[in-house]
Amino acid sequence: MALRARRGCEDWHRSHGALLEAGNSNLIPLPAAALDQGLAEFERTGGLTRRNALAGGIGLFAACIGGAGMSPRRLLDAAAAAAADDPNARTLVLIYLDGGNDGLNTLVPLNEPRYRELRKRIGIAPEATLGLPDTKDFGWNPALGGLKRLYDAGKVAVLPSVDFANPDQSHFNSAGYWRTGIVGQAPDRTGWLGRTLDVVGTPDNALQGISVTWGLDPVLISKRAAVATVFDPNDFGFYIPDVWEQDAYLEAYRAISQGGGSPALVAAQQAYTNSIQIRDRLKPLHVDEKNPLPPTPMEYPKESELGKGLKNLARMLSAGFGTRVAAMSAGGGYDTHDQQDEKHPKLLKDLGDSLEAWQADLEQRGLADKVLTVVWSEFGRRPEDNDSHGTDHGAGGLVLVVGNKANGGIRSEFPGLAKLDEDENLLVSTEFRTVYATLLESWLGVEAGRVLPGIDAKRLPIIR
Amino acid sequence: MHRWRPCRPRHAAGLHGDRTEETIAKAVNSAVTRLKIERLYWRAGFGPRRADLDRLTPVGLSGAIDELLAPAKGPELEPGRGARVDGKAIDPENSYGHDVLWWLDRSVRARHQLVERMTLNLHDHFATSNSKVGNAKLMMLQYATLRKHSLGNFRTLTQALANDGAMQLWLDMSGSTKGSPNENFARELLELFTLGVNNGYTEKDIREAARAFTGVTYDYDKKSFGFNTQEHDGGMKTVFGKRGRFDAADIINMAIDHPGHAPYLCGKLWGYFSAQPCPPDALTRMVAAYRGSKNELRPVVRIILTHPAIYANLDKPDQVKPPVVYVAGMLRRLGRSVDRESWSWQLDEMGQRPFYPPNVSGWEYNESWLSTATIKSRFQAASSLIEKALQDGSVPKTQTPAQAIEAALKATGRPWTSARTKAGLHAYARSSVRGRDEEWEVKHYYTERQRVLRHLLLAGPDAQVS
Repeated sequence: MALRARRGCEDWHRSHGALLEAGNSNLIPLPAAALDQGLAEFERTGGLTRRNALAGGIGLFAACIGGAGMSPRRLLDAAAAAAADDPNARTLVLIYLDGGNDGLNTLVPLNEPRYRELRKRIGIAPEATLGLPDTKDFGWNPALGGLKRLYDAGKVAVLPSVDFANPDQSHFNSAGYWRTGIVGQAPDRTGWLGRTLDVVGTPDNALQGISVTWGLDPVLISKRAAVATVFDPNDFGFYIPDVWEQDAYLEAYRAISQGGGSPALVAAQQAYTNSIQIRDRLKPLHVDEKNPLPPTPMEYPKESELGKGLKNLARMLSAGFGTRVAAMSAGGGYDTHDQQDEKHPKLLKDLGDSLEAWQADLEQRGLADKVLTVVWSEFGRRPEDNDSHGTDHGAGGLVLVVGNKANGGIRSEFPGLAKLDEDENLLVSTEFRTVYATLLESWLGVEAGRVLPGIDAKRLPIIR
Repeated sequence: MHRWRPCRPRHAAGLHGDRTEETIAKAVNSAVTRLKIERLYWRAGFGPRRADLDRLTPVGLSGAIDELLAPAKGPELEPGRGARVDGKAIDPENSYGHDVLWWLDRSVRARHQLVERMTLNLHDHFATSNSKVGNAKLMMLQYATLRKHSLGNFRTLTQALANDGAMQLWLDMSGSTKGSPNENFARELLELFTLGVNNGYTEKDIREAARAFTGVTYDYDKKSFGFNTQEHDGGMKTVFGKRGRFDAADIINMAIDHPGHAPYLCGKLWGYFSAQPCPPDALTRMVAAYRGSKNELRPVVRIILTHPAIYANLDKPDQVKPPVVYVAGMLRRLGRSVDRESWSWQLDEMGQRPFYPPNVSGWEYNESWLSTATIKSRFQAASSLIEKALQDGSVPKTQTPAQAIEAALKATGRPWTSARTKAGLHAYARSSVRGRDEEWEVKHYYTERQRVLRHLLLAGPDAQVS
């Protein structure tokens, strides 16, 4: 059984790889309707033949996800995840602006007389901002040309002041709450996307949730669902110095990663099985000088970690790994306590240009209707700027929802600057959990209460 | 006098004679003792070295435990090569990442393995990160405090940490004033350090306790701490239903005298040594010993280390090695020293960078250590150690698969291996050189086999657990 399944996998990879090269990854149909039949056949025969696997379609996919030695139950789970690869399956991508992005200089309020007074050092002149077609209340930071074009095309929903009640302005607490999706002490360290996968995902298909980072993004920490940490699909290798036969030793690693035992040992075995599986599945995406990438329709910003991450993610999404959620960070630097007037525009330019290139890339890959991107930060910054030409920690962060299916426009109340909270910060008009609940239900099709304990019924008009 | 003799099947005596049987029994006993000491050193230290096992097996488990609990006086570290990077001694206070190398080096070379391991445990318990403190010197002072009391008195330790600079910066005690008391330290003191979440205190207790920790000042330019009596709240406070003009020391004493404290702390300590739930009998005995000794840690740790549950299922290791233990353990069994800067970021990638716990509640243990990314880093760790260890051509063609495995076992300190791993090693040892008969092939592939076998033993799933 093991050998047959593996041979099938090679075929699958090869065929799938060829399709990737041809620039069309949607050609392998994995209809959910084929699921039952394919797996019934699998369970009856106790294994896969090439013929019935191809006939079932999904069965082969499942076997390739799981590798050798998976139980039928596991295969069913894996196949369920594979079903997410059907043309209607959607992916949610989170981009974290690390440090607390200044919303007031991202989307500048134009009809707030206090803005000039509060931002006397680093305020942006109204005439310098980039206009919005549907409102005169705001203007974009001049560095946000890329984002403006997306907004003008109706692809950006903006939530100007999102946070939680009584924020304490601690990076640690705020980022923690946003990541877990729980305000206050969380029962465990799982992230809200990790728990989402615990509901809709499987223990086996690690690429259903991709952390496009070097270390696992905490929003993806799950209880039982497998998740993958891959920044660069071209760099997911297991190397031993001076050893040439990589397949041979990985086969040995795979072989000793079965067997079972204590939960600790099983976790180690599973980690190896999953990560070697990721390596195998990413192998067809390998590029080098002989096999270079075709150019993207719009160039991603050079030297941009965010741009690189999005470019890498676009490749992984179009490979059809059944990815439901992905998370990444735009690189640090948004904690602009000083010299914000120099630093912030560079960050925003990187963000806007990366998002524009990303949308164009998704469009060309036929994924633009299936991917929604959400940009968040742990808080906004103090309305009044400080002596160092910077801003201190504030409240009310700006959230952007970007994609063909985003309901473009300003989609929640801007609390204004006339009245601030007791710490002289923006009032919070929208709780971040309401944003999450909407994304879960309207985008991922997951009942919000299964991921966000105690969530209320409020939702936002951010998705078309 | 009638001597007690172990009962045994009759035919055994007939077949082998008493002496042979006693020899076998002795050998079995000694093998089991060795396995128990091996586990002890993984759980209470940073992994066994062959010399430790050879020396301690005749002494026995209880002797080995006694030695760990009452280490001989003398230097803290083994002589021999300390951590060096590019031929130079490390500089933990000034060079980026060297603080982590410093901690790793101590773990590898600590003569008092339990003292060092308990220091790491307490660093997790009182988790303070240099990411906020931003001062390696203060972090190393806190390390010294943790180490000094690591088998000592928990009350004394907690009092010392309330006066510890790194802690005062970390939990915002410095700068906390009478007019606006910061609750951070008071909250974590009750929630994490002494009582556990919602274990017999209220939000009001936290607010009142926070008033007692006001008045500490810190001058960022001079990097010096002070105490401003004007900013200290010496007024009446109500904490745990008692009223008084409590100061910082009073609040800590009250938390430690709180009935919820001993069970919480003892249960948590158990968790550092075992992945199994704390057996009720152990908890009862630990709490009695802890209270009876007025908050001494040593008797509590003794109860844990002598408990049979620690040595149950010797063939089913069930605790995931924390990254520092995993890496230090490999270095110890290979007889290597900390000689590359990369350990600093490699430990970070594995999820445990000493001096930088992820948050005030410390690291998450056991299965939480393992993800597709961290396992790749653990794999990579072994690769760094394999590098340049063997030259092509150093293994003869006459080496059989069994000999190859034996050589790899010997080189890696004979780690525990599951039946599946044994089978996997044999399969690989056979297939990897099959058909490699050309001279150049022999030269490379017989050595390659040895590299991979060692790698599998160092980093395979079995090596991740103890």
